Amino acid sequence: MPRVFITGLGFITSIGNDRASVTRSLRELRHGFELYPPFQDASIPVKVAAPVRGFSMDSTDCEDWAFPAPYSIKREVLRGMAPHGVYAWCAMLQAVADAKLTDADVSNPETGLYAASGGSPFLMGHMLQRMHEVGVMRCSPLGIVASISGTVQFNLVAHFKIKGSSCGFASACASSSHALGFAYDDLALGRQKRMFVVGAEDGNLDAILPFAGMRALSLQKDPDLASRPFDVARDGFVGTGGGVVIVMETEEEVARRGATPYCEVLGWGQSSDGHNVAISHPDGHGLRAAMENALRATGTRSEDVDYVNAHATSTPIGDTSEAKALKAIFATPGARPAVSSTKSLTGHGLSLAGAMESGFCALAIRDGFMPGSAHITRLDPACEGLNIIRSTLPAQPHLVLNNVSGFGGANVSLVFKKAS
Amino acid sequence: MSEAAQSHAGSTKPFVAMGKPFAPKDEAALRESLKRCSPSTFEAAVQFSKTGNPEHLPAVVIGIIERFVEPDLRTKLKDADDDLRLIEDLGIDSLTMMEIVILVEEVLQMSINNDELRNLRTVGDVKTFIDCKVRGLELPKPTKFLPIEQIAAVMPIQPPFLFLNEASVSSSGANGKYKITGQEFFLQGHFKDNPVMPASIMLEALGQLAVLFLLEGATTEPGKVISPTTIFFTGCEGVRAHRVCRPGDILTLSIKPKRMKMPLATFEGAIRVGQEKAAIAEEITMTFGFAEATHHQPVPANAAAGGVNGSAAGHSPAPQRTAVNA
Repeated sequence: MPRVFITGLGFITSIGNDRASVTRSLRELRHGFELYPPFQDASIPVKVAAPVRGFSMDSTDCEDWAFPAPYSIKREVLRGMAPHGVYAWCAMLQAVADAKLTDADVSNPETGLYAASGGSPFLMGHMLQRMHEVGVMRCSPLGIVASISGTVQFNLVAHFKIKGSSCGFASACASSSHALGFAYDDLALGRQKRMFVVGAEDGNLDAILPFAGMRALSLQKDPDLASRPFDVARDGFVGTGGGVVIVMETEEEVARRGATPYCEVLGWGQSSDGHNVAISHPDGHGLRAAMENALRATGTRSEDVDYVNAHATSTPIGDTSEAKALKAIFATPGARPAVSSTKSLTGHGLSLAGAMESGFCALAIRDGFMPGSAHITRLDPACEGLNIIRSTLPAQPHLVLNNVSGFGGANVSLVFKKAS
Repeated sequence: MSEAAQSHAGSTKPFVAMGKPFAPKDEAALRESLKRCSPSTFEAAVQFSKTGNPEHLPAVVIGIIERFVEPDLRTKLKDADDDLRLIEDLGIDSLTMMEIVILVEEVLQMSINNDELRNLRTVGDVKTFIDCKVRGLELPKPTKFLPIEQIAAVMPIQPPFLFLNEASVSSSGANGKYKITGQEFFLQGHFKDNPVMPASIMLEALGQLAVLFLLEGATTEPGKVISPTTIFFTGCEGVRAHRVCRPGDILTLSIKPKRMKMPLATFEGAIRVGQEKAAIAEEITMTFGFAEATHHQPVPANAAAGGVNGSAAGHSPAPQRTAVNA
């Protein structure tokens, strides 16, 4: 089976809109939280979010939107996009440039694109409201394309002229890790030579606030304290949005193009809790099985893992569940990887999370650091025994695990390795 | 706005916008709807809403089209004639056409259905269409586009004496193109070592376009069609050639009917090469006769949009676009 490498990255995130600023934020533990203006109404119990900076997309009319330089998108393209489609578009441009791909490299039958997003509740809500008020024939002809789940790949595949495999993944917070895993399979099985993996979310009021209804969001009013995975006082996650694109290529393509990879994608594993529609298994059974499957599939021993980018979203139940799964996997003597949750800096990006954090892992491997888990004042006793790093380590991890868990108890674990 | 829109939604009756007085809130809604259009578009819409005078419609419609055209193509609309094509010249795709329609519906308080939309190919089509809708007139027959295969299928004149490569025919006239290839047999002798399109052949080409109009565009008596075997040239007036036309030139031909009364039809015609005037004919007159229509049942005008063409030759209708590929 051909080996698979990550050769390009693009980031529009709450901690930076390009690779350099994201790397700096991860190294220096600069978070992206603020008192989010749309949440400051007295009727809204949640106050903190991690919005993307520099973009103005509060209007339902895309012609009102404004983007930072150098991005500009024509009206006829924009009219089919949600805010997170714009984030993904910008990240795609970065990733293509970063991997130094030509137009022919991007558009051919052996290059595909897998994407994940939850759609745009913001535009969907607007369109349905307008439909009920003035009738469906006065609604934007592209309202559906812009708002349903799948909007990211509809737009990117059409406009970047992708000719290979394309589809979307819908497993909530596990979505873009599923996309990356199945993209890996397509490359390893020889079906494709190059895959773009995209995760994106609007990260605005309509995308984030509904999670308050299930009591999943932090009610903290201090942006420095709201997201603190593994801390005993954590009280829920902080929402974020953005877009991340990862370019994956077979070793043959890497050699042909003379590309310098960030890291190798060694493989992956998944498993389901079979337990609850929204709550992680209290003992982390599904996530543990996903990690076991990933290690077995890649022929990796647990003691070889240097760093785990945990799913840990800062919810009381979820973090404990993952801590138990990690303790079970790394019970072997000598297995003591550094563990951190970069959601302590970015917030939780839902469908974006897997791709964003895989991108962070690729940066960590190539640039030689392990980002710390920020904002821990007092470690939850349930996490004791794990090597949870509270500050960034200036050491290069050779083997990295990235975990995600989604609604329905879907768990994915991805394995990345230093390129050799 | 929403009340009027809802009460009217689904109706096929044209809306006459004189129901209730124009209130400040209507003006505010209009301003919001037209916020990305030129100030003159908004002014025209206000005037139309206040007076119901259809003279203001072209400015409203062109202003709305302009708002959806890419900025670098907008200059084309500034001094556009009615033949400017929405897709080919202005880059408007079927989805943008829908956006235009939605805004026109909102501003003019009318509803337009998809079948009607399909037939709008030129700026002139759109203007005529909106005008008919607002005045409550019957819609004109849609413009038909005929490639050379279809032209040859209906015409009594055949190669090598057919001087039309493509044509569009509507109820108000016909347009065509002919490229002088240099291979035309008569150019060998006209002139010696100096091939020039004969002015008589240019007049012939206009006449052929008039024949095509009689067969494809002219309104006839119910149950009758014009027979291709009955059409002959009878005379012409005021023919002038302005430009020498040579191989490589593309002749843009247009004819408009001036008078039509069985058995005579009189047209005016003009030929351009690019923006240059090449020839004009003040009058070209044909004689024609009817044959019984045997192929088609008479159909109401609105249903004719589907492509029943009234010609005894019975070729297939022009292919139609659908907007979405879901």
